[in-house]
Amino acid sequence: MTNDRQKSVLVSSADHQERGASRVPAKRPSRRKFLKVASGAIAFGAVPLRGWAADAINIGALYPTTGSMAQIGVGCVAAAKLAVEMINEAGGIKSLGGAKLNLISSDVQSDTTVTRTETDRLITSNKLSAIHGCFASALTLIASEVCERAKMPIITGSSSDQLNKGRTYTFTPFARASQFAKAQLQMSKLVSEQPKVAVIFENTAFGTSTSNGLKELAPGEGVEIVMFEPYSAGFTDASPLINKVKASGANALFSVSYLNDLILIVRTVKQVGLNIAINGGSGGFVIPDFYKNVGKLAEGLQGVAHWNHDMDENAQKVNAEYKKRTGDFLFEYAGGLVAQTFMIADALERAGSAEPQKVREALSALDVSSGFAAMAPGGKVKFGPDGKNVYGRPVGVQWQNGDLASVFPKEDARAPLMKS
Amino acid sequence: MLETVTQAVINGLLIGGIYALVSIGVTLIFGVVKIVNFAQGEFVMIGMYISFYLATQFGIDPILSLFISMPVLFVIGVLIQHFLIRRVLGPNDMPQIFLTFALSLLLLNLSLLLFSANYRTVHTSYSDEAFHLGGLYIPEAKLIAFVVAMALSGALWVFLHTTDLGKAMRAASQNRDVATLMGINPNRVFAVAFGAALALAGAAGSLLMPFYSAYPFVGQVFVLMAFVAVVLGTLGNVIGALVASLMMGVAESLGIQFVGADSGLIVVFAMLLLTLAFKPNGLGGGRVR
Repeated sequence: MTNDRQKSVLVSSADHQERGASRVPAKRPSRRKFLKVASGAIAFGAVPLRGWAADAINIGALYPTTGSMAQIGVGCVAAAKLAVEMINEAGGIKSLGGAKLNLISSDVQSDTTVTRTETDRLITSNKLSAIHGCFASALTLIASEVCERAKMPIITGSSSDQLNKGRTYTFTPFARASQFAKAQLQMSKLVSEQPKVAVIFENTAFGTSTSNGLKELAPGEGVEIVMFEPYSAGFTDASPLINKVKASGANALFSVSYLNDLILIVRTVKQVGLNIAINGGSGGFVIPDFYKNVGKLAEGLQGVAHWNHDMDENAQKVNAEYKKRTGDFLFEYAGGLVAQTFMIADALERAGSAEPQKVREALSALDVSSGFAAMAPGGKVKFGPDGKNVYGRPVGVQWQNGDLASVFPKEDARAPLMKS
Repeated sequence: MLETVTQAVINGLLIGGIYALVSIGVTLIFGVVKIVNFAQGEFVMIGMYISFYLATQFGIDPILSLFISMPVLFVIGVLIQHFLIRRVLGPNDMPQIFLTFALSLLLLNLSLLLFSANYRTVHTSYSDEAFHLGGLYIPEAKLIAFVVAMALSGALWVFLHTTDLGKAMRAASQNRDVATLMGINPNRVFAVAFGAALALAGAAGSLLMPFYSAYPFVGQVFVLMAFVAVVLGTLGNVIGALVASLMMGVAESLGIQFVGADSGLIVVFAMLLLTLAFKPNGLGGGRVR
């Protein structure tokens, strides 16, 4: 054990005394405490020692930085770090004497079981004020359950409507899944006055639930669905499916697919020479990797997102800095979590306390319409009793010149829709 | 209607060519070495990654990288036969099944570790282009893949029927003991057969790369079809596997077109079931050649 680390333990115990969190006033760090803190520090090997300095406010970040969603998770952590640096450089939390934020990130490995244990561990072995995470709704649902039990506020960009049911510590500042489907249908009306939509979806829980949402809302939006067809995910050839789309006479195609199938579909549409507006929805469709994989063919493809980097001046500013660091534009989920970090900072500022319970109270009273915390489509954030942003709405996007441009709705459009 | 059917048949034949390369490899190994190689799909995956890295690092066209992926996989095949398969050959089938199955799992997880689960694609000038004939279209990348696949299958047939080594392989597949008595070295023949089968899998990988994504589990998609084709075309029968693969491609395509896009395989498996019911030894009629 180095001197450095021992010193950090001393500081930490002093820290506990100051806040009255430590019930036994320790003159010297006891061996047990030393072991507890040291093992915590070892477990989070990446945590900088200054994280244990007096007054720092710990924010937990749960993202999958390994496994199948690793690429997105790594981008999220980079964005979370950037947000914390921005807040600290601007003077930290002033009502807490300029306290700095300290990000403690944990890898949930794209796995639900790991998410449960990691969330638990993050909460029990650190003195946290709030948590944000985890990108995939399936993971966030688990983390949110653990947070609810531990009375720890969690703020997330995940879109599952389930996250707004019977929860008091979960906050969702962005559009919900049900709103995405509606936006997608409305976008098809930009392409044609009488949209005839072909919906093709993979025959999984994700594909079926998303496409059924589209089917239910279509009549209300005045959109005709001319083809509604499940396919086996991971197929070898999209040609027969696109043959059917061609025969259906559709002028818009909604594909509820993961990246691999979507690439095949887009390529086949081009080969067939079919002139049809494709809307790929959200998720894997609105990340830089999609363009890298599909190349020029992605041009003109539409999607929906809960955040986009061209929304306002603040978003563009953060995007420029993120691009400088990582080389890619700030994608939907990562951009959203920069805003989330500022929402937590806003709550801390008003709470004047780092206690999770106080932070929750302050978050539920959040009402912002300017600054980085208000970086959301519509530019306003205020949580309802179900933790949902009452102003939340998705933004329609389109790939234009290798970049993702906001094109829908009119208030959020930053570029005109490119018609193929 | 006629146009739709013709298009579906074209689509089916083109993808059937790729199934053929994988299934010929499986049937060759079964015919000669008498083991079922469950890891065949993973070698298609390795072929894809070889082409992917050659294309992205050195700018080599994925189709041309076949000249590298095939020899590399041939050597891997010879080594696997020599150091692993040879040890488990014997009257008991179980160790062989476990060995190739373990090999499949090992390669899958190794590739997850090395390449991550991300989808990798290569973009070539012909990836998204197609020839148009009236209302029909033929994707360029798939046409090239089909032609090369048929050429390789033809070359294998010529090799098996005209060269001494090829004849020795057929002899060993007909009766291993008699072949050994006639002075044929089984280890040498087995090594070449295993190497050739893996080289075909590598070729399939390279040919797929211009129009399909590489990811660790990609082999599983093709190996299922390959096993059906091998059974349908009579185990060990190269021509049978080729014909069955093409038929399955067409059946799948017609199934998607007229039954449903999530039930293309229903037609394929119905075809398998009926064939086994009426011709239990497969369409090759039980003749192994």
